[in-house]
Amino acid sequence: MLTQILNLIILLFVPFLMMGIIKKTKAFWAGKKGASVFQPIFDFVRLIKKDFVISNTTSVVFKITPIISIATAIAAALFVPLAFGKAVINIPAGIIVFAYTLGLGKFFALISAMDTGSSFEGMGASREASFTTIVEPAFFTVIASIMALTGNYTFDSLTQILDNAGNYGVLIIIFAVVALFLMILIEGSRVPVDDPATHLELTMIHEVMILDNSGSDLALIMWANSIKMFLISSLIANILLPQTLETYTFAGLYLLIMFAISVIIGTIESGMARIRMSHVFEFVFIMSSLALVVLSLVVARMFGG
Amino acid sequence: MKAELGIFMKFYFIGVLLLFLSGFVALMFNKKLKVPFISVASVISAILCTIPAFNALFKGENLVQTLNFGGVFNGINFVIDPLSAFFIVVISIMSCCAIIYANGYLKHYIEIGKNFCPHLIFLTSLVTSMLLVVTCQNALMFLICWEIMSLSSFFLVIFEHEKKEILKAGIKYLVFMHVSVIFIILAFAALSIEAGSFDFAAFTQVLQNNEQFANIIFLLAFIGFGTKAGFVPFHNWLPDAHPAAPSHVSAIMSGIMIKTGIYGILRILALIAIPSKIIAFGVLIISVISALYGVLYAITQHDLKRLLAYHSIENIGIIGIGIGVGMIGLTYGSGLVALCGFAGAILHVLNHSIFKQLLFLSAGSVYTKTHTRDVEILGGLIKSMPATAILFLIGSVAICGLPPFNGFISEFLVYAGMLKGLAINNFFVILALIFAIAGLALVGTMAILCFTKVFSIVFLGMPRSDKASNVTEDTGLSMIIPMSFLAILTLLIGLCPQFVFNMLKAPVEVLSSHAIEFSNAPTDILQQISIFALLFFGIVVGLCVLKCILCKGKIQFHETWGCGYDRPNNRMQYSASSYASPFLSMLKPLFKKIFDVEKPKKLFPKSAHFSLHIDDIEEAYIINPLIKFDEWFLSKFEKMQSGNLQSYMKYGLIFLVLIIIGCLIF
Repeated sequence: MLTQILNLIILLFVPFLMMGIIKKTKAFWAGKKGASVFQPIFDFVRLIKKDFVISNTTSVVFKITPIISIATAIAAALFVPLAFGKAVINIPAGIIVFAYTLGLGKFFALISAMDTGSSFEGMGASREASFTTIVEPAFFTVIASIMALTGNYTFDSLTQILDNAGNYGVLIIIFAVVALFLMILIEGSRVPVDDPATHLELTMIHEVMILDNSGSDLALIMWANSIKMFLISSLIANILLPQTLETYTFAGLYLLIMFAISVIIGTIESGMARIRMSHVFEFVFIMSSLALVVLSLVVARMFGG
Repeated sequence: MKAELGIFMKFYFIGVLLLFLSGFVALMFNKKLKVPFISVASVISAILCTIPAFNALFKGENLVQTLNFGGVFNGINFVIDPLSAFFIVVISIMSCCAIIYANGYLKHYIEIGKNFCPHLIFLTSLVTSMLLVVTCQNALMFLICWEIMSLSSFFLVIFEHEKKEILKAGIKYLVFMHVSVIFIILAFAALSIEAGSFDFAAFTQVLQNNEQFANIIFLLAFIGFGTKAGFVPFHNWLPDAHPAAPSHVSAIMSGIMIKTGIYGILRILALIAIPSKIIAFGVLIISVISALYGVLYAITQHDLKRLLAYHSIENIGIIGIGIGVGMIGLTYGSGLVALCGFAGAILHVLNHSIFKQLLFLSAGSVYTKTHTRDVEILGGLIKSMPATAILFLIGSVAICGLPPFNGFISEFLVYAGMLKGLAINNFFVILALIFAIAGLALVGTMAILCFTKVFSIVFLGMPRSDKASNVTEDTGLSMIIPMSFLAILTLLIGLCPQFVFNMLKAPVEVLSSHAIEFSNAPTDILQQISIFALLFFGIVVGLCVLKCILCKGKIQFHETWGCGYDRPNNRMQYSASSYASPFLSMLKPLFKKIFDVEKPKKLFPKSAHFSLHIDDIEEAYIINPLIKFDEWFLSKFEKMQSGNLQSYMKYGLIFLVLIIIGCLIF
């Protein structure tokens, strides 16, 4: 019970903190002092209190989307192992519920962007939809390969790689983690795929989809987005940590990994420019190739000499 | 017909007969009462047919009735076993919705005085023949029912036969169906010769004794039934026939009729019992390809109904993946994999018929109001047709397989089967399953791309033409009610899957010929999903209501943000082609693009236009060359048809002589 409550607290605060740490890291590399790491929470509270401005063109879809976004993000979190290596609803094939629940959120995010009738938002939606088509199969390949390796089709199999993979374990973990890390960059719309700090609508992906959202709608969408990033990072942390660890050591290391991921993202954003839009697909395909590497490693481990 | 009828079989036959006759009796009514009369008849017949079906489903027993018509048609068995029963439920309930919907859809044609009596007769005979196909267990009678089904659906497709392209699509459909039926006839003929009887029960022995023979029979049957179902590469008729037909007919065809193809495949499978490995992998691979191919071409389409037709190919692919996974489970002796795969496939048959009908019917509503199927000139319809828009939205979310709707449940079962199958320690199984998993994930995301495109272009934003902006009111209740019924069904199955799952166990047992023990694990998982889905749905609805209350008065309205430009017009919106373009540009080699461009020229350009048509690669590179070759080859024989009576008599004479010589030699 205590672990569940702690999980809930982590789910509520860590996504904000991760955003804060990313911004702090960027400030650090830019030689600035930067805002406090708790700034995203303050922003959230400030936005929640504000009124809305809504486009005349929009319909009911636009109004319910923020709620569906946040609801799907939190619902998906129930199926993912968080700080204690066990998901709240730990069912077989939970990955499907996880991915498809997030898919529902994405579906509404896309149609809500199109609902405004703005060509910029359509552009963002179309890009986001296209990238997802490549990311999802790669994600499924990575997880399914791990499940094939461990013979366990719940999310528990993530922590069991080392027990099953022998010498291949480290390699499999490295490639799986890098693949999922790229997924964070793509799905969380970070540099080099997308620049969350850009001011030019033409080059945006995720930010441009929510141009017309304001007030608490915007707050909910931003929160949902940070939770999504947090969830994929959780998967990474669970892959990295072996199941043999003691419960609270596990949780401590878990938090450490989450913050490390944020620092890495912040460092990448400071050190790298975004890729030209026409080349983003090539970047996204790197994830697919990594997924195939994971698959071949698993197959080599299981059937190779 | 003197044999004793069991009370349940009596219900079934009365239901079928009632529906069949109602088409003819309707001729006597006033033209405004014809369709309502058939609707009532179809509701009664649906009730009569589903009673024995549910009985067979829940009790898991077979209802058998032998009919004697004399001659070779003696001793024909009609059997309602759980597998047939499931299809009877799908066919009778779903066709009922479509026929009720026809009340509203045909109103326009009644007003312009079109003769639609034959249409009604063929409509009822189509449903009747489908009901008979799934129960008939005699090869000869099966083929007759199958042919009635194909022919009546052909006449339904060419309802507006005065339009040339519709007639063309209809004839294409007719040709495809008759090429496919040859394969079915071959399969059944070989079986009957080997078994010495037309009865399905006799086939079992032959099929189970000889694996090689069973493989060949399955291949023939798969081509034959697969053409009806729309597996790639036999799918080519689908995207032409569905848009040509009136909406309620395309709903019946896409929602139910193509499932008889799936039924045929499943029936042969049930006769074979334990399929060979090569068949199992073959079905899995072809299904993954079908699913990908279908959804890929769906993204390229701008014709609303053509797009939905391609999605039928996709969903047939998903059903096929389920069947393939089930077969792999059977051959490798894993009961849970087989159960999940088959149950997912069968449930997807039901689910697809629900949401695909919903989508086709709402597309029909859009068509009746706007008289166009081109999505590029629609837009903003959610304001003038709110009910249709919401129903279409529910259908699209369901077809993408997203929770908490029904599509998710069947896809989840298929996925669960595949993930569980990864524990089978075999190189080929693991490789095939992982590619199938990745393929299905790709299909899912592409479906999301496709349906976000079509929903937002048709219903959201601002109207892109007068056709869309002139719509003032939603369609009538006769069209909304059957659609709402379907929408509620999608939600109910999504929220309480465990009850539906209990219905699936008996059919799966028939498929595996009771060869494997099934565990109870999926029911428990579905139970948890059900609780999750109910909570999720409740909380989302609750939050939406809360938001409405809290945010009253806090909202200001303004123009859409146009980066400082505040006179955006309708044509500046994103279009369907541009929405799909980043994705499609990545997959260029898979299409044959036909551009029709006239660039603006000189200082004061006058006319300019751009249009892009994407051809089906299979049609362009396989079907069309085949037809060309055929034409070229047959043209060599043109000289024989001289129109000269003497030469025809000469042919007759030569033929006779040849026969006599042949008889003498052999």
